[in-house]
Amino acid sequence: MNFLTKTFTLNKTILPGHTFLVSTIRNHWNKDYKPGPYPKNEEEWERNAKKYNLHKSEYHPYPDDGTGLGDYPDLPMISADSKDPFYPYDNPELRRNFEEPLHAEFDVMRLDRVDVNAKFRYPLWVMLAQFLGVMFFSCTIITLGEYVKMFHPLVPRQYPKEGKTYYTFEPIC
Amino acid sequence: MGNGMGNIPQSGFNLYFHPEITPSPLEEPTFDPNVGFTNGRKERVMIATEEEMRSAKIPLEDRDYCAHHLLKYQACRKDNWPWAVNCEHEKHVYLNCRYDDFLIRMKEYERERRLRVKTQKEISA
Repeated sequence: MNFLTKTFTLNKTILPGHTFLVSTIRNHWNKDYKPGPYPKNEEEWERNAKKYNLHKSEYHPYPDDGTGLGDYPDLPMISADSKDPFYPYDNPELRRNFEEPLHAEFDVMRLDRVDVNAKFRYPLWVMLAQFLGVMFFSCTIITLGEYVKMFHPLVPRQYPKEGKTYYTFEPIC
Repeated sequence: MGNGMGNIPQSGFNLYFHPEITPSPLEEPTFDPNVGFTNGRKERVMIATEEEMRSAKIPLEDRDYCAHHLLKYQACRKDNWPWAVNCEHEKHVYLNCRYDDFLIRMKEYERERRLRVKTQKEISA
């Protein structure tokens, strides 16, 4: 209880004056997550390249067509799965070095997610053909089976009931 | 394997392509049961009574002409439990009765089919 009281008192006294702390703690967000505006001139271009630790020739922001990401660089899509597993990374679990710029979609290219550069054993059209072939075959068999119901060659089960006589195959002598 | 891959699908195809000579598994025989027997056939006799089956809570689907064997088997199991294996004889008798019941149904089906083939031949001749 004492702990709770202390926490609430701390919140009341410290947080109100510090907008940065409030937004990081309460909203899990801070202003540095947001990219800046699209670079307008050569000077801003160079400054942004430096900001993202890229060479000027490597820095290409997303096109400013309304769906872009401000000045954030459009990096090549290289998933962690296709990076060298033996290189001594600073963050081996992310296969990432310190201050290395992240791709905007980095969260889907980690080791535990999708390998976007995967090379398939068969081309896509072969796999599609295989899938469609299996589906077509199964659907054909099932559709035919709807018309041709197989059954044991038997009459229905015989239960004793009023007004119904069943016979054995023994003749009366 | 032979039954599942040959006989059973065969019956399905027969019913589809020759419905006039293939009886459906859902319909009762249509011919006079005594055709071809000079003095007729013996009737099947139900030995267990409705009362017995009800008091033993025999499932409805098992209340057929073998129910008296099932009653004996279940009674034996109850008397011998947990040594239910002592009832092997009763179980064997019951399952044999079910097998014979299956045979009668098979023969009845085949009789119906052959009589239909015969009728068709008479019509076309």
